[in-house]
Amino acid sequence: MSELEFRLPDVGEGLDAGEIVEWHVQPGSTVVRDQVLAEVETDKAVVEIPSPVNGTVLRLGGEVGDVLEIGALLVVFETDESVKIRSHGTGGPATSPAAEQPPIAEQPPAEEQPPAAEQPPAAAPALPTPAAVAQSPEAAAGAPSPTAAADGGRSRIGRVLASPATRRLALETGVDLTAVRGSGPGGRVTADDVRAFAAAPAVADTGVDETAGAAGGSSAEPGEPRRVVRRLADETVPLRGLRRSIAKSMTTSWQQIPHITEFREVDATALVRARASLRPHLEADGVAFTFLPLLVKAVVATLAEHPKFNASIDMAAETITYHGRRNIGLATATAAGLMVPVVKDADGKSLGELSREIDQLASAARDRTVSSAQMSEGTFTITNFGSFGGWLATPIIRPPEAAIAGFGRIRDSVVPVDGVPVVRPTLPLSVSADHRLIDGDDMGAFLATLIAYLADPILLLKGE
Amino acid sequence: MVVGEVAEGVDLLVVGAGPGGYTAALRAAALGRSVLLVDRLGDAGVGGVCLQVGCIPSKALIEVAEVAHRAGGLGDAGLTVGDVSVDMARFQEWKAAKVGGLTGGVSGLLRRAGVEVAAGEFRFTRPGSGVLQSADDRPPRHLQYTDVLLSTGSRPVELPGLPRDGERVLDSTDALALQTLPRSIVVVGGGYIGLELGTAFAKLGTRVTIIEALDRLLPGVDAALLRPVRQRLKALGVDVLLGHRVEGFEDGVVTATAASGEKRVSAEKMIVAIGRRPNTDGLGLKKIGITPDVGGLLAVGPDRMAAPHVAAIGDITAGPALAHKATAEGEVAAEVLCGKRAAFDPAAIPAVVFSDPEIAVAGLSPEEARAQGMDVAVARLPLSASGRAATMDATEGFTQLVVDRSVDAVVGVHIVGPHASELIAEGVLAIEMAASPLDLLASIHPHPTLSEMTSDVARSLLHQPAGATVPAAAAS
Repeated sequence: MSELEFRLPDVGEGLDAGEIVEWHVQPGSTVVRDQVLAEVETDKAVVEIPSPVNGTVLRLGGEVGDVLEIGALLVVFETDESVKIRSHGTGGPATSPAAEQPPIAEQPPAEEQPPAAEQPPAAAPALPTPAAVAQSPEAAAGAPSPTAAADGGRSRIGRVLASPATRRLALETGVDLTAVRGSGPGGRVTADDVRAFAAAPAVADTGVDETAGAAGGSSAEPGEPRRVVRRLADETVPLRGLRRSIAKSMTTSWQQIPHITEFREVDATALVRARASLRPHLEADGVAFTFLPLLVKAVVATLAEHPKFNASIDMAAETITYHGRRNIGLATATAAGLMVPVVKDADGKSLGELSREIDQLASAARDRTVSSAQMSEGTFTITNFGSFGGWLATPIIRPPEAAIAGFGRIRDSVVPVDGVPVVRPTLPLSVSADHRLIDGDDMGAFLATLIAYLADPILLLKGE
Repeated sequence: MVVGEVAEGVDLLVVGAGPGGYTAALRAAALGRSVLLVDRLGDAGVGGVCLQVGCIPSKALIEVAEVAHRAGGLGDAGLTVGDVSVDMARFQEWKAAKVGGLTGGVSGLLRRAGVEVAAGEFRFTRPGSGVLQSADDRPPRHLQYTDVLLSTGSRPVELPGLPRDGERVLDSTDALALQTLPRSIVVVGGGYIGLELGTAFAKLGTRVTIIEALDRLLPGVDAALLRPVRQRLKALGVDVLLGHRVEGFEDGVVTATAASGEKRVSAEKMIVAIGRRPNTDGLGLKKIGITPDVGGLLAVGPDRMAAPHVAAIGDITAGPALAHKATAEGEVAAEVLCGKRAAFDPAAIPAVVFSDPEIAVAGLSPEEARAQGMDVAVARLPLSASGRAATMDATEGFTQLVVDRSVDAVVGVHIVGPHASELIAEGVLAIEMAASPLDLLASIHPHPTLSEMTSDVARSLLHQPAGATVPAAAAS
């Protein structure tokens, strides 16, 4: 037996620090390889840190809420194993696989099978199987659980364990069961888990429940009753994780970019018809076809004609970079705050491809399994405040991009047609642009083009 | 529609009044929709195949056959019963009364819910519209629907070259309507319908031969579950010809061929039960841009929608062609069409064969569970361990649990034995609730009953040494 110091690995593509959200072990805990030790939240995602060894936990490197630099001490084990911990990698929350172990003098060379195989029968009820891991998408993506390792790494059934009534509740509240951590035995998801997940944003963001009137970046359904908690004293909590990241980015944008914003309304009759016509064909592939792929198409076509809006300005170098790719960021509300996964090279993708990719990116963002790579290299962003019932809003540009388009909810409005009031579906939109780079006449031209595509989506075919 | 035709506006149109269709109609009406339920037979067709010529009539026959057969079967226990005879004409009257009572009950429900029932064949003419043609000479009704739910069910497949004539060559509907008992029958098809009919007629004294083209009965059902049934068929004197294709039926002789040669079986009648085909061909689906697959099935999502405003359920969609599946789907589809969030997402759809003994399965077989990468434990307890089964003199069969050990959840339950059809419901609940074997053991079961087997098999699983499984040898 010897002590092994396990340091916080590079949990997410080069990020520098992570906050301890939850400990799954305590000093004295016996752990097996790949058992989850802690959950660490970075700027981008919550990552489960698995144990690199079988052994006993001697000390923890911090309390819940502590922010640890990459490479800081996380756990000290007592173990008779020796592993080389990869301190800088790109593979996510991985420790070195057994094959990378340096030869150990005390270890007979015959013992080449992975330690997991030496465990007592993997599924004996006494084994502290991290069932939640087995159920989580992260586990499916890679990190094997102890039983999976003993099984030769075979994948496990994807169905989340939950009763029919709980499934129904999840469906009704719009909760993706696969994203919920089950608190029941063996990771079973309970109705309370679903309710807690649905109500999570207020708690996760600040630890304080907001009153119904406060805008809180909640993913709850509009009109859904919110729990109101009367508090006697102020409570201050640290600004951490994703919220901190969003806060920094928005501050930079507001301080450095002189925003100009224009608001318009578009007759969406043809857009609604286009979606209705395309929907059954595209949904035959099993992907929900929303308006968003059409909006992306319209934006991409507009950017092609107005390259200033697909550019970045660098004041230090005094340069303007016109981007060759049109990578469209999609502002996505998640339980923890706004995330912006990026559809790369959106101009080269069909509506079907866009639908599928948007669906996958949004799911990954909500599950917080989206990678940094999937959220980088954006050249223009779309935000959709309509999903919260909004009409018009002022989108904030994501530096170093030059502009952002926001879309409201399509709703029936009375509009004049040939002097006669007519009810038409209308789409409100607002575009913010960097006034250092873009002038009012650029803005007007950009909006005219965008509106032309939205009002008559068949024009999108002209560039095909 | 041509000039002069006046279309009627229909809020929600349900096509087919079987167990899926009428359930959907009732649910939608409860949710405030105005519903028109159309069926080929109109009010007389309410309940569909299941109620009229399928589940209910066949179980009536099976029940009578079982009682007749068992009446003399407890001689060892000191019971003596005189000659047992079954008057099929009286049986048909009795059955018709039962079916009539149930049909009337459903019709009453529909009436009280305000669902209009109409007779006729519905055919789409274009999206949002269709025509309802009744069998009589009345002019067709032109319907413009807001939403439509298709639940048109399935019909028996005929044997190529030997079409049904209703006299010698029967389908399952004809067989259940027989006014006299044939002395001998050939049942073509060893699926669940063929097996159920063959067993029932054998118990009523008919000489039965089952001919199946495949090399096993009940394809898709775990072979181990079939063993007690095979033994029982043998005891009943039912001949089973596997791997044989029926070629002809002339002068009271059925000829069937196999690689090994030709077999000739004398039979008064032949019942063809080789499968069912979804009724999607006469609906004019092309007019609304829907194309069934080669098997005639419609593709639907978890919400049972085949296209905007068009839902499809039951035998015309993928999955087992079972009434309870259609019923469950009907609820979902109706709710979705009414704007609610709902999905058809069962962990288990139970399947029952009313053979002797009954076979009932829910969830995954051990092989299926292993194929899904689960860490599988299997436990099986023979019915000979049941005190209640001993008092029934029916100890052939077993109860089997399949458990995913990694999450300690029951994922499969298989029961062979008397009343397996009733007992399986606990298994379905266990799977849906993700119950663990301990949950089953700790739920006290009444004694002495067959239901105890479920907790007993859970006990046998829990009290094994960790990591052990009941070996497959127990299957034989």
